Amino acid sequence: MKNEAEWDAVVVGAGAGGAAAAYGLCQRDMSVLLLDAGPQFNPIVDYPLTESDWEAHEFPEKPGSAASITFAPGQKLTGAEPLLVSGSRGVGPLVTSGTRWMEKYYHVRGIGGTTLHFTGESHRMHPDAMKMQSRFGVAADWPIDYAELEPFYIRAEELVGVAGPASQGARWRSRGFPLPAHPLSYAARTLGRGAAALGLDWQANSRAALSRVWNGRPPCNYCGGCNNGCPRGDKGSADVTFIPAALATGRCVIRADSPVIRIEAGAGDRVTGVLVGHADGTIERIATTHLILACGAVETPRLLLASDALANESGEVGRNFMDTLDVMVGALHPDPQHARRGLPSDAISWDFNAPDAIPGVIGGCRIYNASGESELKGLAGFALRAVPGWGRTHAQSVRRWWGHSLHVGGIGESLPNRNSRVDLDPDQRDRFGIPLARISAWLDEPDIARLRFMAAKSRELLAASGAVDIFETYTSWDWFGASHVFGTCRMGADSASSVANADGRSHRWRNLWIADGSVFPSSGGGEAPSLTIHALALRTAERIGKDD
Amino acid sequence: MRRRVFIAIFGSALLGGTALLWRNLSLFWRPGFDLHIAETVKALTGLLFPGDELPGAAELGIHDRVLAMAELRDAMADGVGWFDQRAKSQGAANFLALDESARSAAIEAAFASRDEAAKQFVVLLRFYAGLNYYSHPTVKAAFPYTDPPQPEGFADFQDPPR
Repeated sequence: MKNEAEWDAVVVGAGAGGAAAAYGLCQRDMSVLLLDAGPQFNPIVDYPLTESDWEAHEFPEKPGSAASITFAPGQKLTGAEPLLVSGSRGVGPLVTSGTRWMEKYYHVRGIGGTTLHFTGESHRMHPDAMKMQSRFGVAADWPIDYAELEPFYIRAEELVGVAGPASQGARWRSRGFPLPAHPLSYAARTLGRGAAALGLDWQANSRAALSRVWNGRPPCNYCGGCNNGCPRGDKGSADVTFIPAALATGRCVIRADSPVIRIEAGAGDRVTGVLVGHADGTIERIATTHLILACGAVETPRLLLASDALANESGEVGRNFMDTLDVMVGALHPDPQHARRGLPSDAISWDFNAPDAIPGVIGGCRIYNASGESELKGLAGFALRAVPGWGRTHAQSVRRWWGHSLHVGGIGESLPNRNSRVDLDPDQRDRFGIPLARISAWLDEPDIARLRFMAAKSRELLAASGAVDIFETYTSWDWFGASHVFGTCRMGADSASSVANADGRSHRWRNLWIADGSVFPSSGGGEAPSLTIHALALRTAERIGKDD
Repeated sequence: MRRRVFIAIFGSALLGGTALLWRNLSLFWRPGFDLHIAETVKALTGLLFPGDELPGAAELGIHDRVLAMAELRDAMADGVGWFDQRAKSQGAANFLALDESARSAAIEAAFASRDEAAKQFVVLLRFYAGLNYYSHPTVKAAFPYTDPPQPEGFADFQDPPR
């Protein structure tokens, strides 16, 4: 082992939370070492959106960019759920085993983290969704309210360059979005006519994608490829926003390919440093005055549990896991749409987002134009999924219907339960001997009811828009493929039932802080979490070292 | 959020396929069988994605790309074995000895079959041959809006499709 100089703060994880925390700390003249287990990506080289076979590629994996995760057995699928069975007309059912397919946790390790492949929706929480226990008797209350978070939303939106509409209902603003909303795509306007027929509000989504030049970054050219990685730098991923801003202060050092494998605890309820594993098998100890964990709601609890259950005085580390509750429905419209053109998720309805907006079920959702996220952007995907069969009839149908697909999706509140958690796999370990994170995910009846509502509403919207020929449905009822995950180190006022306090600090460990989605006491009604993670991390960075 | 449906289906399709890997390998993988498999896969691919206004999959060499996929070798061996066995039960030497009508009927039967090897094979073949066929530059050139997303993007994203 070798020793390093002591930093004011070491931040573990260079994604939405860690990058924002590092920036916030640098703004306060603190020296920051920002570590990430994954690599540095090169957008020009790594994101193959100019290649003819682009459709066959997901966001790239590089050595170290995908964490190894294990899963507890999937939930047994009971009851007939005709609206929720995943599959397409062209390929057939996705799941035939009778149990929920625990496919993958969609997480990126690397400088920029999961923001590298996120769509870039930029949402504030619904204020009422932060008071789920006191208002509705479920989940837990956030120990802060919307008003406390609002100034940090503003800071994050300014740095990222969020483009959004003048108003978003209950999400009041002290200042407008820094950039004007993007125009709706042709397909989004087709869906908008359906929304109008149903009496739904249908508005421009707020997006971390530039509608004009901002801080030297170019505007979006509406290629629709956000989820494959943005080679232009107009999408507001952390690697082109918070990280360069942190580096510009001269007080931040970034190290990729540096997995933290253990946190060291010392006297006086303080942690003293971290151990970092290197490719050659050596272990490096790095001392720090403050430690900020921002590895996401799966890897952060893993690291704490693997460090002799650090900060788990409440027993809540790893519990209250909330996954991504979502639905996507695709249908053919009589007229060509070519919906791959434009920003993914460019239009949204917040009508059912309030926690009491869905009749008979607590917890909200949003409905949106999912055409760009459907991965049905290329000809091959369309031919295989939307058009059944083979031979000449198939070829003729592909020619007839190419470009006619529209997708509508819903994302909803995921409520915590005692069966959903992250713990340490008892059998499997990484190359440093650290147990892997194991995800157990369970849907209770209210979650399934919310999924049914989202599926029905998505179908209604498609039909009202003229797209009545449904050819595929994908839902998290039978398919776990989460990207938004929360709750495993929840924050709260009561140290007996939460891991961190309102500032993101461990209730016991005075210099241990958490700045990622794991601190969310509730998931929100389908809001994309990155902006709230940024805002919470900026707020935490404001408080670090203030009361020691 | 969702960004992985296309590839996830790809992965799901392989789940069953991997269960077949190595099974029956010794039964089918004998000298000379490679060529027979290649010819049968070529014939099947040509029927699945035939030429009409555009060149067909066989003409574009799509079968070669499928045959080059090492992870499909055993599924192909199993599947071709099923097609040959079915042809023999109808009095033919093998699948390739059937006329086009009988070959098409065999494909329909494979898609409808309860035999895991047969169904898995045609599902995988449809998927991978289709993926390669509809990604081929010659085919894509016949359809609008099939260029890569970058560097141009879509300046007409607000307009009716051209």
